[in-house]
Amino acid sequence: MEKILIFLALIATGAAHAEESLFDSGKILATPGVIQVEGAGGSGLTPWAVISGYGTNRQIGGSAHHTYVTTGDFTLNATGVTVGLFDRLELSFTRQWFNTRSAGGRLGLGDGFKFNQDIVGAKVKVFGDAVYDQDKWMPQVSLGAQYKKADKGAIVRAVGAEGDDDIDLYLAASKILLEKSLVLTGTTRLTRANQFGLLGFGGPNGSNRSLQFEASAAYLLSRHFVVGADYRTKPDNLAFAEEDDAMAAYVVWLPSKHFTVTAAYTDLGKIALQGRQRGFYLSFQLGF
Amino acid sequence: MKLKTLILAAALLGTAPVANADSLYDDLGGLDNITRFTNRLVDLTFTDPRTAHQFKQTKKDRLARLLVDQICEATGGPCRYKGVNMKKSHIKLGITEAEFNALVEQLQQAMSEADVPFHTQNRLLAILAPMKRDIVER
Repeated sequence: MEKILIFLALIATGAAHAEESLFDSGKILATPGVIQVEGAGGSGLTPWAVISGYGTNRQIGGSAHHTYVTTGDFTLNATGVTVGLFDRLELSFTRQWFNTRSAGGRLGLGDGFKFNQDIVGAKVKVFGDAVYDQDKWMPQVSLGAQYKKADKGAIVRAVGAEGDDDIDLYLAASKILLEKSLVLTGTTRLTRANQFGLLGFGGPNGSNRSLQFEASAAYLLSRHFVVGADYRTKPDNLAFAEEDDAMAAYVVWLPSKHFTVTAAYTDLGKIALQGRQRGFYLSFQLGF
Repeated sequence: MKLKTLILAAALLGTAPVANADSLYDDLGGLDNITRFTNRLVDLTFTDPRTAHQFKQTKKDRLARLLVDQICEATGGPCRYKGVNMKKSHIKLGITEAEFNALVEQLQQAMSEADVPFHTQNRLLAILAPMKRDIVER
């Protein structure tokens, strides 16, 4: 109840400034990043410390995304919404559909078998300011959590996972180096997710969360184009198949604050005995 | 592969955001071009509904001259800013982050129209960005 009152009070202070509306997209183009594959504000694979959406400290921002990834043997679709409140708190919901296509048949699951999961995310800015503190070393630092629930509980357990839901915790540090037109992010994540959680959580080779690392570097090419790359380590908990790190190299087109396209080349490493999975990543985002 | 990437990322994080003020003044096109885009900026600021209401009591020509001096000096040019400091001149105005950012966007537009390359624009914005702490209300 107290939280609701604080929330309403925040909305009221935001609305008190007659000149600007609560949904006026007051942030500078590109500074909130895009939505990453799990729904958090960031780049392709990695959450950034910035709060998603174009809302300033007195505004609310939000966006919807659809992300499509196709590799040699698999297809991933992800759809979700992400909201940024007063440039402090970010909340997100994303559903992922992982289609095994003909690999499903080879694995005895049936052609086109899908592993799906829901991801509820929250991120809070702890300190620092990635955009304005250009005269300081201190990055913006945020703490985030992603609750993930895989839908094929019986099957992920059958391949060795210990559970079908869990929480990833991460700490992200981001810095925009305007002098060099660079955006750098380092993220550490405590997780026991197998293949982002699509294959459940934990397994014979590791049942506890382990510390994983993600790094992202983006270069502001021009006002409307950004290029960058992400690298993300992952745990290797399952015994039946080896799991590798993932990477993506992308170009983002931002014609306006309301529409963004991210196109990437991605290498997700070996997945479910089907060899190294390389392919393309395409993400569309609509928002304010 | 993993370790190499992390070392590379660490190295990137280690590169210093050093202000290269000496050549920035020249890269912006010197006093002529700074005057040109600053005049355009002030025109935009006084007409854009996102910012115009904050400048009703402001003398346009004087503001433009002060801004030119400020940008010229901050980028290593031969000028001296003689105005009031940022904190004193903005206190009680209740300037919001969105208004500050709107002015940044106007400056970007003005610089683009004056043919300042994008990466040179960012070097100037890197110098001006910390002023947000003194300009925007808490």
